[in-house]
Amino acid sequence: MPHVAQPESIVVQLNALAGGLFLLSAFGMVATRQVQGCMRFFILQSVFLASSAVLLGLELRSWHLIAVGVINLVNKAILIPWLFKKTVSEEVYTKREISQVLNIPISLLVALGLTVGAYYLASPMLKVGAGLPALANLPIGLATLLLGAYTLTVRREAVPQLLGILSMENGAFFASLAIAPELHLFIELVIAFDLLVAVFVIAVLTRAIQRRIGTTEVGSLAALKEESVR
Amino acid sequence: MGIKIAYNLAQVVVVMLFAPLVAGVINRLKEMVQSKRGPSIFQPYFDIWKLFHKDEVISEESSWIFRFTPYLVFVTPIFVTLLIPVLTSYPLFFAFMGDMLGGGFVLALGGFFATLAAVDTGNPYGPMGASRTRLVGFLAEPVFMIVFFTVSFVAGSTIPYIVQQKWVHPIANFFEPTHILVMLAFFMLILAEGGRIPVDNPSGHFELVMIDESKGLEYSGPGAALMKWGGQMKLFVLICIFLNVLVTPWGLASGVGVGELLLAVPLVLLKIFIFVLALVTVESSLAKLRLFRISEFLGAAFVISVAAMITWLFAV
Amino acid sequence: MIVIAILVLPLLAAGLCAIPTIGRRVAAQITMATFIILFALSIRVALRVIALGTYVAAPGWIEVDAFGALILLLVTAVGVMACLYSLGYMARTTHDKSLLFHYYANLNLFIFSMLAVPVVVVPSITWLAVEFTTLLSVLLVGFENSREALEAAWKYAILTLMGAAIALFGFLVLFWAMRQAGSDDYTWAGLVSVSSHMSPVLMRMAFLSILVGFGAKVGFVPLHTWLPDAHSQAPTPVCALLSGVETTAVLYVILRLMPIAHNSLGASAERWALVFGLLSVGVAAFLLLQVHDYKRLFAYSTVEHMGIIMTAVGLGGAAAHYGAMYQILSHALTKSLCFFAAGSVLMITGTRNIASVKGLMRASPLAGSALLLGGLAIAGAPPFAVFLGEFSILRAGINQGHYFAIGLLAVFLSVAFFGILLHVNRMVLGRTDPTVELTPRIPWTCSLTLFVAAVPVIIFGLYVPNTLHQLLIRAAAIIGG
Repeated sequence: MPHVAQPESIVVQLNALAGGLFLLSAFGMVATRQVQGCMRFFILQSVFLASSAVLLGLELRSWHLIAVGVINLVNKAILIPWLFKKTVSEEVYTKREISQVLNIPISLLVALGLTVGAYYLASPMLKVGAGLPALANLPIGLATLLLGAYTLTVRREAVPQLLGILSMENGAFFASLAIAPELHLFIELVIAFDLLVAVFVIAVLTRAIQRRIGTTEVGSLAALKEESVR
Repeated sequence: MGIKIAYNLAQVVVVMLFAPLVAGVINRLKEMVQSKRGPSIFQPYFDIWKLFHKDEVISEESSWIFRFTPYLVFVTPIFVTLLIPVLTSYPLFFAFMGDMLGGGFVLALGGFFATLAAVDTGNPYGPMGASRTRLVGFLAEPVFMIVFFTVSFVAGSTIPYIVQQKWVHPIANFFEPTHILVMLAFFMLILAEGGRIPVDNPSGHFELVMIDESKGLEYSGPGAALMKWGGQMKLFVLICIFLNVLVTPWGLASGVGVGELLLAVPLVLLKIFIFVLALVTVESSLAKLRLFRISEFLGAAFVISVAAMITWLFAV
Repeated sequence: MIVIAILVLPLLAAGLCAIPTIGRRVAAQITMATFIILFALSIRVALRVIALGTYVAAPGWIEVDAFGALILLLVTAVGVMACLYSLGYMARTTHDKSLLFHYYANLNLFIFSMLAVPVVVVPSITWLAVEFTTLLSVLLVGFENSREALEAAWKYAILTLMGAAIALFGFLVLFWAMRQAGSDDYTWAGLVSVSSHMSPVLMRMAFLSILVGFGAKVGFVPLHTWLPDAHSQAPTPVCALLSGVETTAVLYVILRLMPIAHNSLGASAERWALVFGLLSVGVAAFLLLQVHDYKRLFAYSTVEHMGIIMTAVGLGGAAAHYGAMYQILSHALTKSLCFFAAGSVLMITGTRNIASVKGLMRASPLAGSALLLGGLAIAGAPPFAVFLGEFSILRAGINQGHYFAIGLLAVFLSVAFFGILLHVNRMVLGRTDPTVELTPRIPWTCSLTLFVAAVPVIIFGLYVPNTLHQLLIRAAAIIGG
């Protein structure tokens, strides 16, 4: 580390705040009932990710992190929503409730449990990394990773499931701000590109499903089991 | 010593005087948002005045609880006022009597009796509203607990005067995620406890969907006036706790001079006005939730409060 | 240069095939030619690697060692066969033939992503290549555009992308662990060299995240649920690629991690591998017994074989590692033969149901014998390649005294053997059902593929060429650290 930040520094505190709100938007994605709401929480989450990167870039005097923040902002808050709008707009931008496996209060409690679990998992790593300026990002990122996986599991709609995956990657990146701030910028760029490809491919698949089956409630697809063979 | 007692009583006077005003401002602003003129902001005063000059009708079926409740509902916010910082950032004479938990319990006592009184009469809407209030109440209770525990954990104390200093010394603490999350959770609690949209509609007149209002339906005359006034003071006190303890102590008098105290009154009212603007924005932009979705609203508040606690406990 | 060409060529071919006016025949020919060139180039790379040790194309970014060369060889070999098979199979089974150029373009891209996995040495880029193997094959899995195929494609995409996100976290922690150990050389070789200084806490997190995340893509139990769906619903040539080499290419990444994890964590890394491996073998072996769809049968067998390879790695030691490498080789070749045979059966009978296929040997001796051969070989009957691999793993385990694990493995292998042959025998032997309408002729390219695919399965069971043997030994040494 080139520079160890003071714990009281206001930038670090603001970064922690961005972290708290980042985690909260992951909860929002679990709690919201509409596809569009899910999308908005994802955009919010990406904005907090970008702001955390920029704040840490300021703190560590690292242009690299600021660039990471800008890449994330452009990619996730602008390009990906735009791509969604282009490809599956009727799925995202009509106000429709998402069907899901568990009801929302129970989902929220499970999500809380996952968050506590993430902190528990991260606590030995926190000891290793003591002194890193943005260590709070690590457990928050891990928690968001788990929450994204959970969103993916309980939602039965195509778009929220994809948003769950994107949210997981957001979580991983959020953690990476703390643990791997020197990761090669080239890698970050290519991964950003990869996310766009992922959204595109899944959106094409979603459209194919919608044309073929008439719904994007992928949770109701259950033809493939051992019993049902024609 | 003497001046502290006087200031303490001044706090009570401020709360009693301005609570109806806050209610009036909220109503007026909401009407304005809906492009109507709305009643005068002093309308709650006229209402209370009018009710005090009317005769009271009390059901023969009711017991002493029904008659006793208005006084209790009126007095409990005043007791709490003695404990919390309304105008000053240092403890006043009666502040030693209880901490935040104590204040919470005192407020809960008033609510408890209001619920009993609603069941006490034969009115079918009363028990309905009472049971709904309890539903909201028992969902809100864990959030209250977690918020208070988090706050006291952060500050190492449950005394409101110590807590409020914690957020601004150093100033970076203000941006602590725990602080923001606690604020958010408590704001949602005020919406639930104060019977505001999206949990309850305070200006609704349809008994079947009422939650909070239906408890006072049977009251008339001075009893109704006390219930109304008490309810307004309760909201005022909750807002004061929120703004002065949980948000910041800015604007409070820190010295003992009378001038400072007098200056604190408009400053606190300004803070409350800003809060009211936020409240009106929220109330005007949301729709009332269906009864069974209230659990989701308070579930979200619970999650936020626990998230606040976790981010503090595991902060590095 | 050769490696760069290997990466660029399929991209060029994909670009050409994607031109709508080019026509499906030309697209097919371009793809076929590309794959044959790729295979030839891979052989050259492999020979260079055997001679020189490591083939460096772009230092610190693109390098091929023996393990990478093995994967390259397998991917391109199965790719050639899959493409040859596609020529007849896709023309026969696709309704809207004008869309076939999409298929070939996508096939090229898919091959590109699988070729990128073993040649890139920066772990994060390897992660990316693995992610692309999913993204570029999802539309191939759903190519038939039936309800089931789309469902399979969806499950495949979502579960493997979820796994990839978990693995991404693992790779980031791995990077941290490397920085913590004071190194700046973010390549597989660089990681191995500092691995003994890495913090075990971080390494455990990284290793488990990647094991679980990529395990979902390899098909380790309990994250295997998508695999039988995707590997049975995709068009047959794609099934062969998915089952034969895509799983292997992802497993390659996990195996690359083994020496790093071993140096940092000690024996517990092997223990995790053993647990995942045995669990997969066991569960898959019993699931094999109750399938009704013969393509799913082979898909479950893939789960089983991935488990066997992981178990071999978990046993540790040079002999077991050699067994694992041999198993990778023989599984890729044998499994593609199985799927080609299964696809032929599908073309002949029009059904995937095991119970409705009877007396295949009489109906079509070619498909029947290919299925029987494939079934026997994949079940592990001597004298085929899989038998040799399994036998060397069992022997290595006994020599090291892992009696309990080997006992379990032997039991599971017998159950799987029984399960596969039970189903295959039912289909191949007996009388044909006169009520079922059959179309016994299959396209000549498919027949040719069956012959070509059968050759290595038989030969490698009896004799391993010395150069290949050298390659396997070196690859085994790489996962040994």
